[in-house]
Amino acid sequence: MTLNAQTSDLLPGFDHAAFDSNAVFRVLLDAMSRPGRIYDLPVHITAPDGLNASATATLLAMADMDTTIWLSPGCATKAATAHLKFHCGSPITTNVAKADFAVARCDEDLSFITELSVGNAEYPDQSATLILLVDDVSESTEMICRGPGIKDTHNLAVAGLTPAFHAWRAENHHLFPCGVDVIFVTDTKIAALSRTTRIEVK
Amino acid sequence: MEQTVNQMDDTASAYNFAYLDEQTKRMIRRALLKAVAIPGYQVPFAGREMPMPYGWGTGGVQVTAAVIGPQDTLKVIDQGADDTTNAVSIRQFFAKTANVATTEKTADASIIQTRHRIPERELREDQILVYQVPIPEPLRFLEPRETETRKMHALEEYGLMHVKLYEDIARHGHIATTYAYPVMVDDRYVMDPSPTPKFDNPKMDNMAALQLFGAGREKRIYALPPYTKVRSLDFEDHPFEVQSWDDECGMCGARDSYLDEVILDDKGNRMFVCSDTDYCTERQEAGHRGPQHHDQPLGSTKSSPNSEKAAE
Repeated sequence: MTLNAQTSDLLPGFDHAAFDSNAVFRVLLDAMSRPGRIYDLPVHITAPDGLNASATATLLAMADMDTTIWLSPGCATKAATAHLKFHCGSPITTNVAKADFAVARCDEDLSFITELSVGNAEYPDQSATLILLVDDVSESTEMICRGPGIKDTHNLAVAGLTPAFHAWRAENHHLFPCGVDVIFVTDTKIAALSRTTRIEVK
Repeated sequence: MEQTVNQMDDTASAYNFAYLDEQTKRMIRRALLKAVAIPGYQVPFAGREMPMPYGWGTGGVQVTAAVIGPQDTLKVIDQGADDTTNAVSIRQFFAKTANVATTEKTADASIIQTRHRIPERELREDQILVYQVPIPEPLRFLEPRETETRKMHALEEYGLMHVKLYEDIARHGHIATTYAYPVMVDDRYVMDPSPTPKFDNPKMDNMAALQLFGAGREKRIYALPPYTKVRSLDFEDHPFEVQSWDDECGMCGARDSYLDEVILDDKGNRMFVCSDTDYCTERQEAGHRGPQHHDQPLGSTKSSPNSEKAAE
């Protein structure tokens, strides 16, 4: 593949590198410090095939040459890989255990999540973050969240979550301080579940 | 960041927005997200050299630089005061490099960077408090080796910290630690709240605002998400207590705020004033008067019974 062929199909990244990545980060910071609360994607960005706008914005704001990205089969399109390589400069891995950011669609086979890095007792921060593309997030009472960042309870419903995912999440919570943090992304919305969040599934 | 530079004012065009380059900010932002996800745990980060010496708030400045956006309003306090050298220079630094609005009013700020105080006014959910931290490791003076303190945190081995507090009691009859008083975060990590007076510890518990801590020299970031349980370590028979004063603030008459002692002359005269200058100013504007306020009759050195009257 020549450089021309690679760049001619490329989509633009952020309109303003500093301001847009800051705006997206602030939403992620809010979402992670108030698990279960839903936030609007604050920027306009075109997503490549395989990703959605919020997933693209999250990766462009947070990932760079220091972070390894793993893309699920459903997300690992040529366009998405080229987009992330160009804009983030991130190494893309096929080994899910090495991922700093793992990206997948909710309706895919999610059996890989048990292989994600959870960090270790001395460095629990050396864990992966799971970015899960979903169709919809809402405040219906599917999951009742409690824990740090939550005053009483936050209600969160995520379209298409399976019992297997909830079981994994509960296990993940018990690994604390190790564990994986999850960011749910739709085209326009972002919500997160920190490893500290206790969830009651209705 | 050619694009960024082009869109900046000419005055600041030599720097990226908020001084740090985008890659550095991303690195700090990733550390912040982990810090929030593991409350009280110290996340290592690749701290940069800043255009100020260590000890002047390089950690707090880096955290603020990674968090601040053009829509933010910044307040900086040093021991509660907005008008000390450290606070003024950091405020000017961000006014210049990020072109953000600054304020001295706690209520108007979206980000408050602080050195060793928490504002008296209750903080809101839409505010972020950034602490400058000199030594992030609460166990450091008990165990100098990082490898060991890491292990102690991993194993929740905090007995040594209780021994230290016990030794205070054995020697002084009470827990004599008055600042940097260790706290237990969400029943898991023992954390150094930075050298804030222990008076401020109860404010950290269940605070509505997000609290971020940056230690520049030690290159550590940690955080308290909003509404997180923060308990000051103590014993059943020696419960945690905060400082209290017999005096009131000489300027605004406050009895509920943290007071600084000011020596007035070499004859033993002294006064107490609120350490939080914005709190004191607001009270004075609302008509509260302390005995040493210039409105008060000369020579009234004792607290006046009418000092609260003007407010009613």
